[in-house]
Order: sequence, then structure tokens, then C-alpha cells
Amino acid sequence: MTHIFAIGGGKGGTGKSFIAANLGVMLAKQGKKVVLVDLDLGAPNLHTMMGLNNLKTGLNNFLNNSVKDLSLTAVPTKIPNLYIISSIRCSLEVGNLFYAQKQKIIRAISQLPTDYVVLDLGAGTTYNTLDFFLASHQGLSVFTPEPTSIQNTVRFIKAVYLRKLKHILKHHAFPTAVKEVGYESDDGVVRSPLDIVDSVMRSDPARAKLLQKELRKLRFKLILNQYRKHIDETLGNKIEKVCNRHFYSQFQFLGNIAYNERVYDSIIARKIFVAKYPYTSTSTDLKNLANKMTGNNVQAPTLKETNAKI
Amino acid sequence: MQKFEELNHYEIFEIPINASAFEIRQAYKEALSIYGDDSPISYSFFTEEESKEILGRVEEAFSTLIDQEKRELYNKMLVREKKIDPSSLTKRRQQVPTPLFSSKTHGGAAISKTIIKKRIKDENLKEAEEVILSKDMISGDDLKQLRKTFGVKIEDLFEVTRISVSILEAIENDDFGTLPPTIYLKNFLKAYAELFEVDPKKIIDGYIKNLNYIKGIS
Repeated sequence: MTHIFAIGGGKGGTGKSFIAANLGVMLAKQGKKVVLVDLDLGAPNLHTMMGLNNLKTGLNNFLNNSVKDLSLTAVPTKIPNLYIISSIRCSLEVGNLFYAQKQKIIRAISQLPTDYVVLDLGAGTTYNTLDFFLASHQGLSVFTPEPTSIQNTVRFIKAVYLRKLKHILKHHAFPTAVKEVGYESDDGVVRSPLDIVDSVMRSDPARAKLLQKELRKLRFKLILNQYRKHIDETLGNKIEKVCNRHFYSQFQFLGNIAYNERVYDSIIARKIFVAKYPYTSTSTDLKNLANKMTGNNVQAPTLKETNAKI
Repeated sequence: MQKFEELNHYEIFEIPINASAFEIRQAYKEALSIYGDDSPISYSFFTEEESKEILGRVEEAFSTLIDQEKRELYNKMLVREKKIDPSSLTKRRQQVPTPLFSSKTHGGAAISKTIIKKRIKDENLKEAEEVILSKDMISGDDLKQLRKTFGVKIEDLFEVTRISVSILEAIENDDFGTLPPTIYLKNFLKAYAELFEVDPKKIIDGYIKNLNYIKGIS
């Protein structure tokens, strides 16, 4: 069965597509078959990151039923073993996906005949994004060290958490009274999901264990992108710690991805970064990230070690 | 997952119950970088009231643990409420760093100022002071006798006053050839006298008088 990675995070411009593309390349280089899916439906651009243009097929063929099998819409990239399903040819209104179509996509993705699927999600916390994120085996939140980005990432995490919470309440048929507490607070607006978990647990203590157990199944991975040397190296670990302390789910910080001026150059040139600049600390970080995600815990040699060998 | 409100002070800082003051300070610093006012993490996660409450708990935990008395009371409370195992309170053996400078420069235990002071408090020794103070002219030998009555070695005297042994010897031997200029000598004598709690003025005057007398003879 295929293993799905979703790359999300609340804020735009943090490098979700960049990490999705380059992570895909690193996974393919491990000798695995990988499919990238551009699910940033409102603003698709993953193919540009991969240096591709004029894609003949994509998600649009699957959505309009001209192709029944999603795997047939995948286009090979310049990297062996790596394929892409783009949504650039979808209608301009595809951003507001119908529920049935969303379910159809999720089902089809989980049946793709490949080792790994990497989903590139859009910014924001719309239901589509949250549901794609929840459909993955490992959800990655990408953030940068600015307070704005941290704030949006936390909001994204909370939104995913709340969505999951509602799924659980619905799926396990919690009494209506409990559900009401779950949906609305005194003010009539949904407050922090943390409050909601607490109030659900208070009003139905017998099933609090079940709720905790189900929430615990939700696993988040965190990645700090555009890491610059002068900032706190342990920022990601601290966020991981706070998340694990205050949410019932499991959080793991996967590491910093070094900031590099050449990322900009590679995007301008429409070239794959890790292929164009393999001997940079950023590429090493991406390689380590891919290794961590596949449980292949071998650390890539650092730039210094590589130079020493040469 | 334990709720934050239910964590004890040690759990807030994630430190062992027998943590040292250094570990507590480090953990407090770390906690401030997460829950402090200017932390982007606290800012992103919590509402203003929440972060205020959490920071309050962190501050309370630190002020309790860093104060030895408060900490002991707190530990007793935890033990009473069966929240911790009393055996975890035992202090870990700490490695003491090797001192860079040893005070034992002359071998044997160096005598400290406080020990000398203690002996001086002894009634019997008051008499020795009376003897020396009753003299009009005070020789180096008198000072030497005074020192010996207190059972203080010349090396110990150096340790306490930091007047070099050679000068101390010159003073006690009335060796005016080696003695420092009068202004310094007076200061040294003053230190000497203050240590044994005899009137410095009398010692200085008597000593200088005696010195001039000896100089006159030779």
C-alpha cells in the first residue's frame, strides 16, 4: 500500500511546494517510486518548481471523468521514478471543490500504485486542505521562524485538530448534548479546540479515554524552513514540546532546513534545487528530512565531510 | 498527557526532584524562552489570559524551588500528598571540581583568621596582651612572644595578613637593615596588632621607639 505524506502549514510562502518538490526528488533518489500531487487547487505551481511546462494530463482529466484511473494522469518528471499529477489545467473554480469530488480524490490517491505519495497543500485552513492533510499517513507542517508564520502554523494545527475532533465525535456517536458542547461555546463561536476537548471530557467523562486515544492517533511532523544561523536553533524543538504538552496528539520536530539564496535562483531558473545545487547545506537538510520520514535514519554526510572525502 | 495545570513544579521544568540550583536556573531560562512575554511561541499558542496564567505558574515554580526553605516545605507537601516518592529526594553526589589554587602553600592546615580570633577571645591570653601593652618600648621579640602565646606560626601569619614572611621575620628580629620604609612598616605593624586585637597605636609607637633606640646604640 502506498504511504502518503501531506505538506501543509497555515501560512503562504513558507516553502511548502519547495519542500514537496525536493522531498519528492530525495525520496525518488532512495530508489522508491514517488508521485507528487499538486493539491494547492487554488494556486497550483508545483510543476513549475519541477521545471515542467505544457503538461498534457493532470487532475482535471480525473475530475471530469475523461480518465477513470488517477494513476494514468501522472506525468513523468526529469527525475527517474518521480511522477507528478498537476492541477494546473483544472478549472479556475476548482478551488471550491465539492465534497464528493474531494472524497473521490482521497480514495484514488490511497490506491495509487506507488511507494510514496507527496501531497502539496495550499495555505489556509479550508476544509479541503484540512481533509487532505488528515487523509495522509504523515502530515508535515512547514513554518519559518517569523512570529507571523508560527502563529499561522499553530492556527493550522488547531484547525486540523478541531476537524479531527469533530470527526471523532461524529464517528463514535457521542451524545448530541456533548456534540453541542463540542461545536459551540458560551459565546456561540467555536473557541480554542483545547477548551472543547476539556468540556467534552467534563460532560462525558466515561468516554474521555476513547476521545484521548483517538486524538493520540493524529501525528504531526514539524519542519522549520528558511533557518538562518542567528536564530534559536532549538525553536522547533520548543514548539514540539509545547504542542506535546498542550494537545492530545503527537508532534515531532523533524529539523531545520537552512536558508539559501540559491533557492530563489533555482525557482527563477525553473530548475529543481536539489538537482542543481546538491552540495549545499540546504540539500543535505532535505536529504536528512527524507531519511527521517522514511525511517531510514542514516544521516547524510555534511558538506564538510563530503569535501574532506574529495 | 498530563494537563499543564496539574503539573508539579518539577514537572513544569522537566527536572528531577533532586535537581541542583544550576539545573533549576537553566530550566527556568528555557521555560521563559517558551512561555515568556516576548516569546513568539507563547504569543502564537495562547490567549493573553492563558499565557499570563502559565507564566505565573512558571514564576511561582521558580521562586519556590530556588529558595531552599520554600523548596523543602514544598517537597514535604508533595510527599504528604503522595505525589512523589520520598527516596527521590536524596541528594545526588556532586562532583566537586579540583580547586585551581590551593591555600595550603606551606603544607599542613593553614590557620584562618577566624581561628586566631577565637583563640584571642580566650581569657588567659588577655594577660599576654596586657604584658606587651604595659611596655614603653616594644621589641620584635615581644611581638614574637605574643604570636607564640597564641600558637600562631609565622607562615600562618602570612596567610592571614599577606605580609611576606621575610618582612615578618625582619620585624620580629628588629633587623632594621631589611625593614621597609617607616610608612609601610607602620601599616604592617598595624595589621599585626589588629589581628591580635591589641591597640595598634601603642604597638607602633613602642616598636618605633625601640627601633630608634637600637639604631642609636649601634
